[in-house]
Amino acid sequence: MRANGILPAVAVIALYLLVPAALGHVDYVMSLIVAALTIGGIAVAWAMLGNLGGMVSFGHAAFFGVGAYVSALLTLDAGWPVFPAMLAGGAGAAIASVVTMPALRLRGPYFALSILAFAHIFRILATELESITRGAGGILSIPVLPTVAGFDLSSKIGSYYVILTIVLMAMAGYAWLRRSTVGLALLAMHDTEDATKVVGVPSTRLKAMMLALSAFITGVVGAFNAHQINFLDPDYAFSGLWTVLPIVAAIFGGYRTISGPLVGALVIYLVDQLVFKSFLPHGHEIILGALLVAMIVLSPTGLVPLVRQTVTLVRQTVTRGHHAAA
Amino acid sequence: MLQLEDISVAFGGLAALSNVNLRVDNGEFVGLVGPNGAGKTTVFNVISGLVKPTAGNARFIAMDLLKQPIHARARAGIARTFQIPQPLHELTVRQNLIVAQKFGTGHSDPKRIDEILDFLGLTERAERNAANDLALTEHKALEVGKALATDPKLLLLDEALAGLETTGKRQFTQMIKQLHEETGLAIVIIEHDIETISELCQRAVVLDFGKVIADETPERIFRDPEVMRSYTGERSA
Repeated sequence: MRANGILPAVAVIALYLLVPAALGHVDYVMSLIVAALTIGGIAVAWAMLGNLGGMVSFGHAAFFGVGAYVSALLTLDAGWPVFPAMLAGGAGAAIASVVTMPALRLRGPYFALSILAFAHIFRILATELESITRGAGGILSIPVLPTVAGFDLSSKIGSYYVILTIVLMAMAGYAWLRRSTVGLALLAMHDTEDATKVVGVPSTRLKAMMLALSAFITGVVGAFNAHQINFLDPDYAFSGLWTVLPIVAAIFGGYRTISGPLVGALVIYLVDQLVFKSFLPHGHEIILGALLVAMIVLSPTGLVPLVRQTVTLVRQTVTRGHHAAA
Repeated sequence: MLQLEDISVAFGGLAALSNVNLRVDNGEFVGLVGPNGAGKTTVFNVISGLVKPTAGNARFIAMDLLKQPIHARARAGIARTFQIPQPLHELTVRQNLIVAQKFGTGHSDPKRIDEILDFLGLTERAERNAANDLALTEHKALEVGKALATDPKLLLLDEALAGLETTGKRQFTQMIKQLHEETGLAIVIIEHDIETISELCQRAVVLDFGKVIADETPERIFRDPEVMRSYTGERSA
């Protein structure tokens, strides 16, 4: 129990202090870490929806794009400060999820496909509603992240702290929700929906709440991205990559764990960009694909559970060794 | 308390219930009996909201029942068990009751959960996985426990005693009897065993081919040769 509490605390301290201290001066690596955390944030939101809401989404790009557009337009056209606009971006994505809610009546692959269709619809809207979104030409000069108490959050390290905080808050909320009574009801709904309904669980409302929450987190991450790269166009904001990469990251890391999606995003993105890309500049993603397949075959629950099992095994072997020696 | 009026249900053109009328008063213990396939569970499914009737009306206290979603009926005080136990998956026994209490009543009361566990003899099993680590008797008890945790006014027991061996059945019958006497809950039980119905119920309603063919005291019902023929499946040509 104590070890369970210490490990996340050490990881959080390392992420806030050690990573910037060790790599803060290497702009390229920090950029990659920020990108990995951006994918990690969506991966956490995606896995939360799957684990607790029981829904597999192929359309999180929709929520990412809506969050990015809402925040960018509020800062540019309505003069909103960046952070409130980012929250409004999340709220915009949550509201957009309401449009997709008729899809909640669908199950399994039908839900996944309908959400994919919604992502496509949002991309078309962003392209065609030129008077609001500036159309296919995109939005330039989106305001950067602000300077707070003399610390420039638009710098590489500043951006890192902002996205890290967003992702960790999402994970903390996810962990809290999973332990709550609502989380228990959501877990039970997967296989025994009628039994949960007859004890008073409003299952459709809870699923809608999960979808809105997942969309909110994804929207905030999308908004962060818009203010970090200062540019947006429909093809970029609603790109299928914002759906595929988080799914790959979550499955690789272990989508049923809280930390798995983030660990997966950091490992696959950084290994891909820093290692595979160096010796296979074109088509390096193929190694990533092979790695994912290998993970699914060898450890379907993902990297984090695999590491946990290995650590437990090593501990048991060491303990046995000590006993034998005694 | 509960009033079903001319409820009909059809599944793909096949009539499962035809103009069923059923009344349950406060604190009453009613037996719902009849041969297999008579529509007894369908009546429970209509009351709890899992099946929408094709015709008819239903009132529970002052509520137009058929307009309410399933979860709202539970909140209003209707609780049910399933013939094949349906423990909430991935949860422990205690968590099953916590979820039922929180959503069924809107509040949490750990002391009440302990009382229910104790009453049902599940205290020792409280931290076990409800889906995988219980015996049949314990699964049946958990079904009742989930229902009780919602603090119901009307309890629907669907073959709560089916599959239990003689001693277990006797203990369970006494437990349900005690529950009724101590709480004054209105209870409707689907049960095949005549002795059990006679021991527990003030009134028995007999269903056959989706129709109510008798609504009397158990003594009268089980003395009626016509009803008994239907009940045992020996129908006259």
